[in-house]
Amino acid sequence: MPLHRPESLSAALELLQGGRAVALAGGTDLYPALRDGTPPPEMVDLTRVDGLRGISRSETGWRIGGATTWTQVLKADLPPLFNGLKAAAREVGSVQIQNTGTVAGNLCNASPAADGVPALLALDAEVELAAPSGTRRMPLGDFITGPRATHLAPGEILTALLIPEADGRGAFFKLGARRYLVISIAMVSAVVETEGDAIKSARLAVGACSPVARRLPALEAALAGKTISQAGQAALTYDYPELSPIDDVRAGAGYRREAVATLVARAIGQAALTDKEVPHVA
Amino acid sequence: MTKTFRMDEAQPRLLDETGQGIVGAPLDRPEGPKKVSGRAAYAADGLPENAAHGVLVRATIAQGRVTKIDESSVSDVSGLLGVFHGPKMTRNPAQGMAGEAPVQPGDEVHYHGQPIALVVAESFEAARDAAQRLAVSYDADTDVITDPSRSETHEQDDPETAGDFEAAFAASEVTLDRTYTTPPHAAAAMEPHAAVAEWEGDAVTLRGALQMLRFNKKELADSLGIDPDKVRILSPYIGGGFGSKLGIGPEAVAAALAARELGRPVRVVMTRQTVFDSVLRRTETSQRLRLGADKDGTLRALSHDDRVSNIRDEGFAEPVSQASQFLYGAEGLSFTQTLARICRTPAGSVRAPGEAVGMLALEQAMDELAEELGMCPVELRLKNLPDKNPMTDQPFSATRLADCLREGAEQFGWGERKPMGERREGDWYVGMGMASAARSNMLIKSAARVRLTGDGAVVETDMTDIGTGSYAILGQITAEMLGLPIAQVEVRLGDTSFPGASGSGGSFGASSAGSATFLAAKAIRETLAERMGCSLSELTLQNGIARGGNREVPLSQLVDGELVEEASVESGSTADSHFSAGFGAHFAEVAVHAYTGEVRVRRMLGVMAMGRILNEKTARSQALGGMIWGIGSALTEKLTHDPRTGHLATRDLANYHVPAHADVPGDLKVVFLEERDDMANPIQTKGIGELGISGAGAAILNAVRNACGARVYDMPATPDRVITAMDAAGF
Ligand SMILES: Cc1cc2nc3c(=O)[nH]c(=O)nc-3n(C[C@H](O)[C@H](O)[C@H](O)COP(=O)(O)OP(=O)(O)OC[C@H]3O[C@@H](n4cnc5c(N)ncnc54)[C@H](O)[C@@H]3O)c2cc1C
Repeated sequence: MPLHRPESLSAALELLQGGRAVALAGGTDLYPALRDGTPPPEMVDLTRVDGLRGISRSETGWRIGGATTWTQVLKADLPPLFNGLKAAAREVGSVQIQNTGTVAGNLCNASPAADGVPALLALDAEVELAAPSGTRRMPLGDFITGPRATHLAPGEILTALLIPEADGRGAFFKLGARRYLVISIAMVSAVVETEGDAIKSARLAVGACSPVARRLPALEAALAGKTISQAGQAALTYDYPELSPIDDVRAGAGYRREAVATLVARAIGQAALTDKEVPHVA
Repeated sequence: MTKTFRMDEAQPRLLDETGQGIVGAPLDRPEGPKKVSGRAAYAADGLPENAAHGVLVRATIAQGRVTKIDESSVSDVSGLLGVFHGPKMTRNPAQGMAGEAPVQPGDEVHYHGQPIALVVAESFEAARDAAQRLAVSYDADTDVITDPSRSETHEQDDPETAGDFEAAFAASEVTLDRTYTTPPHAAAAMEPHAAVAEWEGDAVTLRGALQMLRFNKKELADSLGIDPDKVRILSPYIGGGFGSKLGIGPEAVAAALAARELGRPVRVVMTRQTVFDSVLRRTETSQRLRLGADKDGTLRALSHDDRVSNIRDEGFAEPVSQASQFLYGAEGLSFTQTLARICRTPAGSVRAPGEAVGMLALEQAMDELAEELGMCPVELRLKNLPDKNPMTDQPFSATRLADCLREGAEQFGWGERKPMGERREGDWYVGMGMASAARSNMLIKSAARVRLTGDGAVVETDMTDIGTGSYAILGQITAEMLGLPIAQVEVRLGDTSFPGASGSGGSFGASSAGSATFLAAKAIRETLAERMGCSLSELTLQNGIARGGNREVPLSQLVDGELVEEASVESGSTADSHFSAGFGAHFAEVAVHAYTGEVRVRRMLGVMAMGRILNEKTARSQALGGMIWGIGSALTEKLTHDPRTGHLATRDLANYHVPAHADVPGDLKVVFLEERDDMANPIQTKGIGELGISGAGAAILNAVRNACGARVYDMPATPDRVITAMDAAGF
């Protein structure tokens, strides 16, 4: 089984044509998923491809390269807008997983429980997809189509995530059956922009409670102009029609619904805090 | 022939009189540096030249028969050496101390995941590929019972009783009748089960991951149909066992069968999923506790009935009510066990079989009773401590349970405990809980050899060190007895060519192998006294110098060549005249999130009296590990079976939730109370490996109740269950 380690995007793309080779980033989804099964005939390691690693800023926004690891996200100097993404980065597996696992891998693997997805949905991220014929862009919300399903065409590479510049602050909460290193029962991300005591805009996303993580447009619209505590209240009484949680080994659907409301309220509150206000944790 | 010492009467506390001062000291484990630098060779390491690789093929039906294994389906795999199956393949690991072959089911399948064949190839990859693709045909049974509550074959024991439970229960002023359930658990040792088998003529050497070599040798011989003298097992380092490596496993038998056939060494390493599927699990339990008491808290009636499960033809049934039978006592006692036969991964011993799950129920029931009585849970326990085993009338050999309870309450700040639901910090309810700890203690036949070579000594026994500290403590006992610096003692373990020990199980390894080592060293002391021309009581050995009869002689002068003694110990009449058990008290403080039901353990304290402590550091480590298991059993650990096939759905460490570091509080404390158990064995020790878990989970669950009113009857108390229970309690 050859493992290719190209250094340019064009070489990587060329290697991926023909349908035999599979893209490999950190391998933290790909390898465990093989279990005892047969490995793919060829793999193309993307982590050495020039320009695919790291985070940069342009006039319009931020670019997270398609081979950027979670640790790189954590260590990057980013504005409070990214607090949710950073909190998610800290909760993806363990430090070892964060050192090797990538943001793009998390999205392409498209698990309903992928912790990166809600945080990036709340940031209105777009994916940039490269093929030998050229590059296309699409909102993350469109890119992931179902559990383990995306619009990634055969031979395509996710070269970057593009995040529009915005004010506001992010937050992320993950709920699991143990404190750490756990597959989420539910997770919530919020990006909130405030004006005085009132919410100017809120972007909210929920994961592990539907086949694909979902934004909550109706609740977001309802929050504009509300105070933080009114917003928390609204989150607790909202009925979350976007979600369709199921019973599984991790928790029941009913619990997920109930817990999500709390997590959304908590995330809104957390996102609205300034750096000086440290929240209470047990 | 080595003479066997029988424990028929209390023995002098020699280890308190010797002068080296090393027994009990918190010494590092001597093999530690090897382990953390990757130089300790575990079973799968150090592959012999020319070794072939085997991968187990496992059944994909719940019950039935294998009708065909089509070897031609993998004939294209390059490097394939053979597909092995047949009447000698074993269904599952032997139960602890079986000493004979496990069930050899031939072409029958008794559970999903049962090993049915071994594919061997030149490389691991080729073997794995072929194992994956091997075509197997089955004749599958329909209507297979995988759920113990639906099982039609219930084997019910007669109740074990003392007094008249029903009458005492009826006469009690306050009664409680509760049912608790616990899910199946996995040992989840870090090192996967592995074996390397190599034949020389008609004798086989097996490098295995095994806990009890004296028994394993017979089990392997019986499985293969050869004489035990033709089997040598090496297990010098073991990456955790917790009961899962007590008996010879399918990987070892299959490796030996294939290696014999192929005439070359064969290695078999289980994948993590195979370990979960094919190694003995802990049974799920359903436990009914009935307690009756007078208003002043005196227990009058106690009944603990349980239902456990196992696969057909396995003799083991988790002794769920073990501690309930001796911990408190009452006028009327009754214990009935029911064993349901089902098609699931077979059940066996997992750390503290019995107490680990039984005390989760008993000690929660005691907490509920205290609440009904309006009594402090510590007081309720103090009020009901017997001085004899209430079922057998044997006096306890040594118990400091009352001291553990009092000392624990004091050190933990139990007096600060608030009424239920009254302590809140932000979104978190905070509460405290406690539980007693108890675990019965045993002495198992064990032998050891000690060689004194002047300025150094060597200990040899087939005892194992499963991460517990055997290397450390056996060295310490020898150094203490022979007056040597610890660096001068070498301990050799895990080789059946050495004298046979108890092995590691039931927390009896240190006491049993330690006593044998002690007795061998004691015999050497006798020779040394003779050579010194002094009486034994006059002899002092310290830092390599013998003193006595007004003489001072370096051991190196006293011993030219070697002094070798072998000793063997077994339990005797003190095991009948007295009842020995370790006791302790667990205290926990938890925070429960008011809206998500997440539980965070904030601090825990275990106060334990477990006989003489041989090494304060390794003993503490055992106690801490046990308490962390307590966290797992209370809050996170649960094997889930697919109801259709009985196949495990949570068969890796991502889905079987042992506590992560972040679940374990930094403030996790163990206090040992000084104790000597004169009736237990000649070194006055008790078992320590399992007491830490016994009761620990109940302390956490009782703290959850105190925090937020939630009493979860189906363990573990995952956030969803806590929220539901909080709702039920009106919080
Ligand atoms: C122990 C453990 C714990 C974990 N815990 C968590 C957790 O808590 N939360 C969580 O969300 N995830 C968790 N994961 C899953 C995993 O670590 C993450 O999803 C990670 O972000 C995957 O990234 P990767 O680089 O390792 O992906 P890989 O495994 O390399 O790839 C995943 C998939 O994406 C494809 N791919 C990767 N990069 C690209 C690209 N640039 N273009 C096109 N296709 C690409 C691959 O072909 C593959 O199909 C855990 C995994 C492990 C092993």
